[in-house]
Amino acid sequence: MIPTATLPEIVLIFIVGLALAAALGRYMANVYQGGFSRWDPIAIPIERGLFALMGVDPKRAMGWREYLRGLLVTDAIAIGFVFLLLQDQHSLPWNSLNVPDMSWHLAFHTASAFGTNTDYQHYAPESQVSLFASLFGLQTLMFLSPATGLCTFVAFARGFARNDGKVGNYYSDLVRTFTRILIPLTVLGALAFILLGVPQTLTQAVAIAPLPFAGGGSEIIPLGPVAGWDSIEFLGTNGGGYFAANAAHPFQNPSASTNLVAILLMMAIPFGAPFAFARIVRRPGEVWPLIGTVLIVFLIGFGLFLFAAGSNTYLPASVDQGSGYFVGAESRFTISESALFQFTSVYSNTGATSMSLASLTPIAQTVLLFGMFLQATPGGDGIGFSMLLIYVVLAVFMGGLMVGRSPEYLGKKISMPQVKWAAAALLSHPFAILIPVAVTVVSGNVVPALGGYSPHGFTILLYEFTSEAANNGSGMAPIHDGTEFFNVVGALVMLAGRYFPILAMLAIAGSLSQQDSRPPGPGTLKTRTATFTVFLALFLIIVAGLLFLPVLALGPFSQIAAGG
Amino acid sequence: MAAGGPSTEGLATRHAAQVSPVAALRGSLSLLRPSEMVRNPVMFVVYVFTLFTAAITIAPWAFPDLTGHGFSRSYYFGLTIILFMTLWFATLSQSIAEAQGHAQAESLREIRSGTRARRVLPNGSLQWVAASTLRKGDGVALQAGDTVPLDGDVVGGVLEIDEAMMTGESASVVRESGGDKTSLLGGSQVLRGKAMMRVASDPGQSFLDRMIRLVEGARREKSPNELALTLVLSAFTVSLLVVIVTFQYTISANPNLVVDLGTLIALLVCLMPTTIGGLLPAVGIAAVNRVASANVVAKSGRAVEAAGDLDVLILDKTGTITTGNRIAVEFHPAEGVDKTVLTQAAAIASAFDDTPEGRSVLRLAVRRGVAREGFRPSAAKVVPFSAERRISGVVLDDGRELMKGAVRSIAGYVGSIPPEVEKAAEQAASQGMTPLAISADKKVLGIVVLKDVVKPGIPDRLRELRLMGIRTIMCTGDNRVTARAIAKESGVDEFVAEAKPETKLELVEREKRAGRLVAMTGDGTNDAPALARADVGLAMNSGTSAAKEAGNMVDLDSDPTKIIEIVSLGKQLLITRGGLTTFSVTNDVAKYFAILPAIFVGVTGIGMLNVLRLGNPHLAVLATLLFNATIIPLLIPIALRGARFRPRTAVELLRSNIVVYGGGGFVTAFAGIEMIYLGLQIANANPWVAMFVSWVGHMLGS
Repeated sequence: MIPTATLPEIVLIFIVGLALAAALGRYMANVYQGGFSRWDPIAIPIERGLFALMGVDPKRAMGWREYLRGLLVTDAIAIGFVFLLLQDQHSLPWNSLNVPDMSWHLAFHTASAFGTNTDYQHYAPESQVSLFASLFGLQTLMFLSPATGLCTFVAFARGFARNDGKVGNYYSDLVRTFTRILIPLTVLGALAFILLGVPQTLTQAVAIAPLPFAGGGSEIIPLGPVAGWDSIEFLGTNGGGYFAANAAHPFQNPSASTNLVAILLMMAIPFGAPFAFARIVRRPGEVWPLIGTVLIVFLIGFGLFLFAAGSNTYLPASVDQGSGYFVGAESRFTISESALFQFTSVYSNTGATSMSLASLTPIAQTVLLFGMFLQATPGGDGIGFSMLLIYVVLAVFMGGLMVGRSPEYLGKKISMPQVKWAAAALLSHPFAILIPVAVTVVSGNVVPALGGYSPHGFTILLYEFTSEAANNGSGMAPIHDGTEFFNVVGALVMLAGRYFPILAMLAIAGSLSQQDSRPPGPGTLKTRTATFTVFLALFLIIVAGLLFLPVLALGPFSQIAAGG
Repeated sequence: MAAGGPSTEGLATRHAAQVSPVAALRGSLSLLRPSEMVRNPVMFVVYVFTLFTAAITIAPWAFPDLTGHGFSRSYYFGLTIILFMTLWFATLSQSIAEAQGHAQAESLREIRSGTRARRVLPNGSLQWVAASTLRKGDGVALQAGDTVPLDGDVVGGVLEIDEAMMTGESASVVRESGGDKTSLLGGSQVLRGKAMMRVASDPGQSFLDRMIRLVEGARREKSPNELALTLVLSAFTVSLLVVIVTFQYTISANPNLVVDLGTLIALLVCLMPTTIGGLLPAVGIAAVNRVASANVVAKSGRAVEAAGDLDVLILDKTGTITTGNRIAVEFHPAEGVDKTVLTQAAAIASAFDDTPEGRSVLRLAVRRGVAREGFRPSAAKVVPFSAERRISGVVLDDGRELMKGAVRSIAGYVGSIPPEVEKAAEQAASQGMTPLAISADKKVLGIVVLKDVVKPGIPDRLRELRLMGIRTIMCTGDNRVTARAIAKESGVDEFVAEAKPETKLELVEREKRAGRLVAMTGDGTNDAPALARADVGLAMNSGTSAAKEAGNMVDLDSDPTKIIEIVSLGKQLLITRGGLTTFSVTNDVAKYFAILPAIFVGVTGIGMLNVLRLGNPHLAVLATLLFNATIIPLLIPIALRGARFRPRTAVELLRSNIVVYGGGGFVTAFAGIEMIYLGLQIANANPWVAMFVSWVGHMLGS
């Protein structure tokens, strides 16, 4: 009997996840501040070697432009490499399943998806990616993309902490993210998954004798280094599955215990980031309004999702839902387990799926969409929290006006340069979602993709671009999105949804770092208060609501109106 | 400190600067020019769409794509009218604020018109010239009856000046060369005396000119916060534009939905922050007007905004915190001396002492019921205060010598002081008070104790400042003991005793180094460097030109406590903007719930969004748009007067303003839309209105 968790146990798991994330957050702050750690004897020689190899001086702090340049060039090289690799995988080694080359547009979409931490999969992994391309291509990006997010985060945080105009050394941050955070934790997570029964092998598939009821021919069961993939999939908030069925596949997520480990890994960095931030800016108490806002939105959303995913109010009363509404849910787990996994996955912009999103009730779909509209509660590794800081910059600006004081946050004045970039980062998101949706409709691509118009179909379309713009990666099958149009537009949406906010975040970091820090005076609007926390949460919800209500009305709301 | 105390009436009221409705109306229409509208991005978008709906109303045949089935010309006519109202209400608020400024400027200009002056030529002769030809550094001869042509300083002679036209202060002031009372204000009248003045500013550069320019808005640059807010509002508008334009295309995917373009335009305009966008210029102009009304010349709007951000206020003790005069508060007789005798002697000894201290001794004695028995002033001989003896008093006709002076000086005069008197004097001094000894015929009768009095109301003001998070530092030349006593009584946070002329500058530098925003007041030339360094330097009009040049504000009433009012004005300015923005945004929530159901009228069941139960979609849209327009004039008074501001901590303010403006915006919009809808519904059902609508439709030819 597989152990299953009831709701109170799920709550307990969440609290444990938060506690672990808080501890990790403190550790991350130490890593980025160059503190000593037990890893030093192993990590330092490796880091020295890498720095020598790259020819960089890790001590030299960079301005934001130089930092951004390093980040963009690194990502571009990696994405370009994978783009080429996927188009040539057929002739490369480790391809015993004889996987063909990818088309240029599918390779473009896939490389962009993994490079931007989206991991939206327009392909079936079992039949369309070779082990070689998976290990050296996709997995490279699965490590690099959370690192890019974390580098952006730490540079942003340093903007508040420093006043020399610099935001840190990109290469040093990148290497330390690998050596001290991602690789050790991935190894740890992979070991846990192996112990719990997830396969880890270089065997690409096993053939077994035909089952009695299968009409002859041998059964090919794909295998691979799944445990390692799983570990970085969740820890790195990547979300792309080793198998098409993702976390609903018994090799990827064999039991309630692996489900639990996955939840803890997804929570680790996104929920740890506020704790790391408060340490880096040397104001540990400032973590509370930030984590508080995230929790307000996360818990309200989870409550709604649990209710809306676990029961269907449209069904006639004669249908007994006493044991829960299981349509589209993983029958091996309880509704609470599935719901916490799925909700955490979407809200942390991991995007791994263990439920069929298309089968969810429209309210549950709306709740998931809302998380991707916000991108910040808690959002993906590094970027999610940076997005929260973008909201904070604007909320502090409005709050400052409302109390009659020029806005400031953590001793830094929030004025034109910061407000300009924050508004751009925030408002680029509806652009990246709504324009491609409209383009799809106008260009006539919507009908072939959905096989006719319906509010449900529209929700699927909205979900596709929302997921891509938020670098989430979850998808609502079925949509015939493997076409040239959806691949190219989708890739562009993912790239825009990723790098434009990063540009804005680093620009804000640079402009903050050039300012001298003001000591908090008694007249300063104290952000470490319940009032500010509630204000920030309301700000998030109202801004996202105002921008996305019309499309929600066209999609899920019309579905509700049409009776589910 | 000007003798008359602060004048509460401002320039606007003093010069009866009434805003003419015609001027405001004309101004509001001229602001509708495209060149003016472009300056306000939010309203410019409304402008474009107004022209668009107007074009559709006038010439529907030119838009065959948009005017398909279900096109109602009277609906578009209604939309155009309401959109135009939205625009016009916005320009009206701005033009009223500008008209107030113009009225103030106009009354200031009257002072100035046609002034002529006698310029001193290099050869020493005088020449009548128009004031406008004078340049900085020119010498001008002034005598009784002249109008001071420009700001300047007295360089030789003494003048009695009437500044009533400028400052509203009816008491005349004396200006003389040397010292800190040299400053002349252009426009004031010479009552008596004859003197030379040196012009301190070129024409067009005087304080009056600056004030005129500022209130007229000609040189009103947008402050950093205003710019940032404009940017946020514009970005929000552009996003909404994308939201609605993409919505227009996206909706075409649903064959069941046909959405009228006019309705989408209405939705867009309703969601755009038109309330704050429309009122934003008025808020800024009105704030400068309010500062001018408080009789303060601000050199820029930026300085007003900075005042709201202050962390530290450096205040002079004398004149700001205390009245500046020590006042007698108690008599302490020596052993064996009757208190009445002492009181009487003190009163007589002070009879000819015209200093405020002397008069206060007299007043106290009278209050204690002491008559100056047997004192015939005409027969008495005055012993004036002399630098050598440092005592003063009276020799009566019977030969009695009643003297008053510092305890040490009296001791020198009489020879010795009784120990208990000395002790009482020391005790008084240790409490920050000043003891004066009184002697009769070289015998010490006792002491009278004088005290520096804190101005009434100052402790309350300082408490308010602390609530707002502003630290106050008192600066005084007094010794530590006196300074501490006053600091304690008034409630300042910190004090600096035995201050030297350069102390203020050091203080300003110290606070600025710590990253704080500092304000100070000052009037002397000594204060000029500190005034220039401070973020807000309020110079007194009675002070020197150097001080006024250095500060970024000048108080025409010369009331140093006014800095506290200016802090409130600065905060009020920001709160008005922030509050109206929040109001604007929470309004949107209600507007969505009114218009979206109207759009989805074809979709069954979407009625769940229709919380307001608005049955007629066209009326629902018009009602929402009408609410959006009418809320602007309803809020003009708040924009002009400024949001209510009560000193509180920032977090308390945030909490209450979220409720007032956020919650208020939410509730007002729901209630307002519902009421207007019901009104429109009743009107629509009225046969006369129905006839009128059909007549309009007929006239429009649809």
